[in-house]
Amino acid sequence: MLETLQSLSHGFALALSPGVMVYAFAGCVIGTLVGMLPGVGPLAGISLLLPASFGLDATTAIVLLAGIYYGAMYGGSTTSILMRIPGEAASVMTCIDGYAMTRKGRAGPALAIAAIGSYIAGTASVVGLMLLAPPLAGFALRFGPPEFLALLLLGLLTLAYMSGGSLPKSLAMAALGLLLGMIGIDHMTGYFRFHYGVVELGDGIGIVPVAVGLFGLSEILLTAGQAEPPAVMRPRIRDLAPSREEWRDSAGPVARGTVLGFLIGILPGSAHIIASFVSYAVERRLSRHPERFGQGAVEGVAGPESANNSATSGALVPMLALGVPSGPIPAVMMAAMMVHGVSPGPLLIQQQPELFWGVIASMYVGNLVLLILNLPLVGLFVNLLRIPYPFLYPAILVFSVVGVYAVNGSVVDVWIMVATGLLGYLLRKFDFETAPIVLGVVLAPMLEMSLRQSLAMSSGSYWIFLQRPIAATMLFLGLGLLLLSVRPVFGKGKDWRRRLGLTGKVSSREEGTS
Amino acid sequence: MFSRDRVAGLALFLFALVVLWENRVLPLGTVYRPGPGFMPMVLALALAGLALAVMAGSRGSPPLASLDWTEKRHAAAILAGSTFAALALERLGYRLTTLVLVGFLLWAIEGKRSAVALLMAIGLSLGTWYVFAGLLKVPLPLGPRGF
Amino acid sequence: MTTRRFALLLALVLAVDGTAAAQEAFPTRPINMVAPFPPGGVADLMARPVSAAMEKVLKSPVVVVNKVGAAGAVGMSFVANSRPDGYTLLMALSSISIIPEADKLFDRKPAYTMDQFAPIALISADPTVLVVRAEKPWKNVKEFVEDAKKRPEEISYSSSGVYGTLHMAMEMLTHAAGIRLKHVPYNGAGPALTAILGGHVDALASGPAVVLPHIKAGKLRPLAGWGANRIAALPDLTTFKELGYDIEFYIWAGVFAPKDTPEPILRKLRDTVRQAVQDADFKAAMAKMETPVAYMDAPELQKFWDKDAKMLAEAIKRVGKIEEKK
Repeated sequence: MLETLQSLSHGFALALSPGVMVYAFAGCVIGTLVGMLPGVGPLAGISLLLPASFGLDATTAIVLLAGIYYGAMYGGSTTSILMRIPGEAASVMTCIDGYAMTRKGRAGPALAIAAIGSYIAGTASVVGLMLLAPPLAGFALRFGPPEFLALLLLGLLTLAYMSGGSLPKSLAMAALGLLLGMIGIDHMTGYFRFHYGVVELGDGIGIVPVAVGLFGLSEILLTAGQAEPPAVMRPRIRDLAPSREEWRDSAGPVARGTVLGFLIGILPGSAHIIASFVSYAVERRLSRHPERFGQGAVEGVAGPESANNSATSGALVPMLALGVPSGPIPAVMMAAMMVHGVSPGPLLIQQQPELFWGVIASMYVGNLVLLILNLPLVGLFVNLLRIPYPFLYPAILVFSVVGVYAVNGSVVDVWIMVATGLLGYLLRKFDFETAPIVLGVVLAPMLEMSLRQSLAMSSGSYWIFLQRPIAATMLFLGLGLLLLSVRPVFGKGKDWRRRLGLTGKVSSREEGTS
Repeated sequence: MFSRDRVAGLALFLFALVVLWENRVLPLGTVYRPGPGFMPMVLALALAGLALAVMAGSRGSPPLASLDWTEKRHAAAILAGSTFAALALERLGYRLTTLVLVGFLLWAIEGKRSAVALLMAIGLSLGTWYVFAGLLKVPLPLGPRGF
Repeated sequence: MTTRRFALLLALVLAVDGTAAAQEAFPTRPINMVAPFPPGGVADLMARPVSAAMEKVLKSPVVVVNKVGAAGAVGMSFVANSRPDGYTLLMALSSISIIPEADKLFDRKPAYTMDQFAPIALISADPTVLVVRAEKPWKNVKEFVEDAKKRPEEISYSSSGVYGTLHMAMEMLTHAAGIRLKHVPYNGAGPALTAILGGHVDALASGPAVVLPHIKAGKLRPLAGWGANRIAALPDLTTFKELGYDIEFYIWAGVFAPKDTPEPILRKLRDTVRQAVQDADFKAAMAKMETPVAYMDAPELQKFWDKDAKMLAEAIKRVGKIEEKK
């Protein structure tokens, strides 16, 4: 323990040195700017600025990239809350209640809670990273395809809790999203599926254009032509701070989101995107006023935002502790290290202590910097809402195009955004929720791949899911949760969903049974 | 008869059928070794089933005719503008495309004064170019003659 | 002379003059080097030192552009179809030979064909290495092969995806040794490495640079390399050729241009790369990445590429469509 503190203080000395601080600060600022751009998330941000980091030394380069990573997560929540456009795929859930809060005039508190929740989550998860990295990483590595499948099936369960309205409708949207996720190369056999000759669809239709189109563009399509343009917000200073009630309501979600996000984040793969989805579902399930979700419940902002931020630290755990590229973002950071001659591996912590502790310390610093940066900016951002909508939405459209194009430099992504924008517009007209589609697109490739990899590993036997302890445990857990939630249907009759606040807009039918 | 949910459910059902048809070229494999066509088939069947469930539960759904389409002309225009942007982005380059797009939206659709529209269009177009292509080095497409 | 002849002569003079001018002046604009993989990937990491060194030689910017998608097909077809004026180059990996073959196998219209490219130079060629988990009992290839023969299709290996370079390398081994292994594809080299580190598969064919730290830490054991010579960083590691298996496989990276690029420009580019790989900064950058430079000029690269492509095409045909086996 003493040694850890000593190393940490060395790390702080390094991180707080002017040379490194400048880059940490720059990274945070750039990350925030990039993150605010619709759709452009941390991966795109880091990738764009990776070349710029080559000229720096190893520690500074990683500090810069980590700052961008964090900043992008912070920045992503801003557009989600203010304009219902996901700053990155993981912010989709924040769009729902965050924007509802904005409509109620509580944009300031939403932004503030998002920033503070992110700070707490970020800092706590860095502590976790620091103290628990090697053992956690070892545990995370034991997550193979069967465990992933179990986890993703659990993730699918959260769908039932994600949106109001009728259950068949939400599930149908999930099925639609899962189907859309099937587009692209099948990595198990090399077949191209549903790509109709467009090479760019080889990797699938991409979460970013889908999220931006389904949420952002559809919002513009629905709102711009309304006879009554959205009321121009005139926020007052005292409206910027969260009320005591909002503070109290956020405490639990932030804590749960932190733990949840961290655990999901350490798992290899891109599963950390689902951290925010799972957090939303958990908060809804645990809340005493579940019917508030979707109308501006602060828990729906606090939980997902915290989960997001702690998942980012979690994602770095396997990379720093074991040199395992546990996802696309850690892979880019590993590449940055390799370019500087630092080979990430199990001995990184021993061989390159300055790098490890310097990065850890800079993460603390970075989180603080971002909080200090973002809180005053809340006032500035909220004033953006004063701009009359007819002037605002062309700007949003331009930013969306830039964001979507920037991810892959491909105009096909812009087409996808337009198409899903139209789709989202029609779906919302007909009272369907669009969030399950995004979850489906995210989960589908991973779900299918995990299933088929597991079967390849077991040579076709489904028993593998029961033979492996972690997978079996999770599957039983999921089964238990499913039965628990379905039980009231048989027990108390038809009003279980109303109790959970899941009869939403389509309320003209009785009791929510579908 | 034509309630919203019924129409929506029908549309989803038909889509699922289209997917099943398109899926026919992919080998299905077996349940023990699923092929590339397996999951899409399962999902399309699930979607079809759910679409039928939506249709079945549409008793309480308001009629199709009651849908409010007041914004449809606006929406169509924005959609057309976005389509233009997708088409023109790599042919005319980023700056020209955004210039035309924003100018069109502000002047033709929102009816702002042409001077205001032009100013905003130029400002947005060049401003975002400077920030993203200039400062952040995002590769945005250039138009003819490198503009 | 008649007006028409005069015009013709003028045109001729201008054309010749034009090309001459173009020759002297190339390059007048920044050159784009397309890396068909995401930033941080192998192609990207190769492209940056090369482009930086070329810039120094040409005294004119050489910019790396990432065009990602479909395992490289997007970027490669982009360059194949671009104007052959020398301003668009490709940093290609060995997968350039795989994608058209895979397309043929699936009766797809190929995204590009290999003869749409003119080689400029080879930059690096890392032989793949066979690694197994350290706690497995096989100390050398012989034990591995014997065990595999006793238990066909039980020993598992991961790869970056079907028909990918790591899969093909393993394929060549299994064919040459007459064994059958269990293949678990992942999507990318990173996940494939994570899988073996997590104990979910037993073996992996990988590029040497990424597994070196794990070998040194004792988590993975290398059994042999696919190169004609031993790897500099692993001098005690035997090669398959030494053991009597006639297989060679490299993950190589090279610079290409579209086929019809004019000869003078091609020559200039070749000279540029030849000088670029001598640059001290370039050598230092490559050394930091633990990637040895294996420079080959265009004619040798063409021979190398043809041989490599032929080998890969055979392997792909042999693997066939996965669904049709068994």
